[in-house]
Amino acid sequence: MPAVASATQTEHEARQDATPQTADPWVTIVWNDPVNLMSYVSYVFQAYFGYAREQAETLMMQVHREGRAVVSTGPLEKMEADVAAMHAYGLWATLATSGGTA
Amino acid sequence: MRGFVRVGGHYVAEMDAVERQILAGAFADTATLLGSPLDGGPAIPAGQADGAGDGDLFALLDWSAEPVEEPQDPALLRLLPSASADDAALASEFRRLTEASLRREKVAHLRLVWRTLRRPPGPLAVARADAPAWAAALTDVRLVLADRLGIESDEDADRVHDEVAGGVDGREDDDDAEVRAALAALYSALTWLQESLVQAMLVDVGTAGPDGPGGDLRH
Repeated sequence: MPAVASATQTEHEARQDATPQTADPWVTIVWNDPVNLMSYVSYVFQAYFGYAREQAETLMMQVHREGRAVVSTGPLEKMEADVAAMHAYGLWATLATSGGTA
Repeated sequence: MRGFVRVGGHYVAEMDAVERQILAGAFADTATLLGSPLDGGPAIPAGQADGAGDGDLFALLDWSAEPVEEPQDPALLRLLPSASADDAALASEFRRLTEASLRREKVAHLRLVWRTLRRPPGPLAVARADAPAWAAALTDVRLVLADRLGIESDEDADRVHDEVAGGVDGREDDDDAEVRAALAALYSALTWLQESLVQAMLVDVGTAGPDGPGGDLRH
């Protein structure tokens, strides 16, 4: 989604310029739902994030058993791209600050 | 119907004309829910915005200049979820900047599947590069059906599959029961079809294929 990425990037660059090096790292959280197949969630974690099969299955089982899992960590702009990608795959994902209660 | 198996660089399933027609209808319905009917007029060339045929230039933008409201329909909200559980301003900004492109991406996936289902009968071959879009579209159709069937927990989902396995549970003159039975059968069939596709895709994930590494949605 190139056009969105550029619009988002411009705004975040401005935000980062205003408060350099004070931004908290953000996280992408994937939530459990009764529709997505365990196999598909594991596939998405491998295909999109590049996780090894074992790590993807561990995260998938965490989503399944605990209701959610942090699947990536980083600056807000990257986490927004990850959440948008999860939504495109049909997974239920949200952003949160890494220190937040989410 | 026969589920997907790996054949060379493709995943191949088999389904008859009636099955294809029913499935194509479900994919078209989901695109309509997203605001872009698939059979409403001439084909839109690839790369142009879906549903932007009214000459409105703003419809061609990937983002909105104005705030975009959360969908009221819970099924549509599940397709276009809020990006934050506790930060309304962040969620609103995310939706303003990304919802239009997410809708277009989902409709593009649905259209790809719909077009394949409307081809003449024969083995249904999905190129490896198209498989992620197929799996995502199958998810989106199932998410909508699950909302209509009231599936809110794993137990609800199991119950729907049990209903299908056990036949129609209701009087034959009960229209609601008939509709529910049809939706449940469709949901169950799509679940089974997606599972077969994803199992085949998992064999290849992470290995370089004929169409590039991984073949995920965002390369």
